[in-house]
Amino acid sequence: MKNKIELTVNGKGHALAVEPRRLLADVLREDCGLHGVHIGCAHGACGCCTVHVDGAPRLSCLTFAVQCDGKTIETVESLGGTDATHPLQQAFRKHHGLQCGYCTPGFLMALVPFVDAKVREGTMPPEAEIRDAMSGNICRCTGYQGIVEAVQDTIGQGLRSQGTGQ
Amino acid sequence: MRPTEFAYHRAETIEHALALLAEHGEDGRPISGGQSLVPMMNLRLARPAHLVDVNHLDMARIEEDADTIRIGALVRHETYLTHPLIARHLPAMLEAVHWIGHPTIRRNGSIGGSLCHADPTAELAAMAVLHDARIVLASTGGRREVAAVDFLKGAYVTDVQPGELLVEVIFPKPTGPHVGTFDEVGERLGDFAIGSFGVRLEHDGTRVRRLATVCGGARMVPIRMTELEAGAAGQPLSALDPVAFGQKVTAMVSPSGDFRASAEYRRNLIGELASRTLQRARDQAMGMK
Ligand SMILES: Cc1cc2nc3c(=O)[nH]c(=O)nc-3n(C[C@H](O)[C@H](O)[C@H](O)COP(=O)(O)OP(=O)(O)OC[C@H]3O[C@@H](n4cnc5c(N)ncnc54)[C@H](O)[C@@H]3O)c2cc1C
Repeated sequence: MKNKIELTVNGKGHALAVEPRRLLADVLREDCGLHGVHIGCAHGACGCCTVHVDGAPRLSCLTFAVQCDGKTIETVESLGGTDATHPLQQAFRKHHGLQCGYCTPGFLMALVPFVDAKVREGTMPPEAEIRDAMSGNICRCTGYQGIVEAVQDTIGQGLRSQGTGQ
Repeated sequence: MRPTEFAYHRAETIEHALALLAEHGEDGRPISGGQSLVPMMNLRLARPAHLVDVNHLDMARIEEDADTIRIGALVRHETYLTHPLIARHLPAMLEAVHWIGHPTIRRNGSIGGSLCHADPTAELAAMAVLHDARIVLASTGGRREVAAVDFLKGAYVTDVQPGELLVEVIFPKPTGPHVGTFDEVGERLGDFAIGSFGVRLEHDGTRVRRLATVCGGARMVPIRMTELEAGAAGQPLSALDPVAFGQKVTAMVSPSGDFRASAEYRRNLIGELASRTLQRARDQAMGMK
């Protein structure tokens, strides 16, 4: 049995018929062709599959696509395209925040709203807060330090450009 | 892995959800945040034939009346971190919630789901036990209230019957001045705890009016140290001895060992956490912070 659903993914409407048991992660990859949605563990432990549902991060492996009927979804493809031009993506490159890259889309989707919120608040968070913000994502290459630096750099840039950096 | 087949039902009202759950009985299962149920389904440890999505129901509010704080089943974990009623009346909960998983888990997971999943060291289960919370369950047959200690029956086992929906959790307000603390140790930030301890201390500025405790990791459900609680009532705050208290807790608990920690490590850990949480509570009550 298939259910009919409508999703808006990265600004584009999709009318789909899906089995209820299909995970949002699989539907985004297979039916929408968005292979930036990576699946690591498929039980919520690694964070690779993080996407935004109605603007907030959510694990697409712990979400059934059928639950998202009518919702708006963003994947990593919405950030900086294939050239990875988003400031956080650029900072990941500069600070060696990735090596194999498998976990990167999940980190970016978890951290972009965090970075935006801190820039809006006008504060540079302590390192412990940054590590808490990324604690749901596992990276086996970098040891996390480069990712922390990328986040600090991006928040710093944001604060300077709006003139709120201390 | 991926889940087995199921039919999906989006419930629009509580009555609708209860009718669906009654119709499907043992084969039906509510889903709220999905942060525990979907992992179980992906691993095929859970195979519901009918999933009743309760996320759209009107049970996402925190409300107060004269004596209680009522938390709707769908209130998400992150809500407590900024909610004035929680900071004011349930400060231990504020500390406990920081330890639940990661930001994305806290944004999506709900109290109803956490209590019904009943992980042995789930922080919200510990908070329900610490605060003598009452769990409100609804079915087409009506409503009933169960004390948290009776609701949690074992690891991943609760008093919820087929056809029932957890609708809210009622926390009695503390009376008079009070403080609350919670601490735990896990393998990584955001993992379930190896051991945890929580304290709520009602006082009059100089004496203990009432001490409540909760200990996670000692048994398959959070437990109260009732003997130690009774011993503290009426004592001057300055007579509370955190070190001795921790030693007594260590002597009283008999946790089991597993791949994460030996029984010995866990017993000592729980005693140390008891000592630290009592010390912070006492110092806060005495205005020493
Ligand atoms: C990586 C990771 C780390 C985590 N770490 C922690 C942690 O440190 N501490 C912690 O406490 N939790 C942790 N969790 C679990 C998390 O807190 C879950 O949100 C919670 O256990 C379940 O809530 P839920 O709303 O997601 O419920 P669901 O997953 O939707 O449901 C869980 C169970 O409750 C039932 N259910 C749901 N709602 C109701 C209802 N209203 N009435 C009756 N039955 C209902 C479901 O049928 C199911 O059996 C973690 C999860 C993940 C993925």
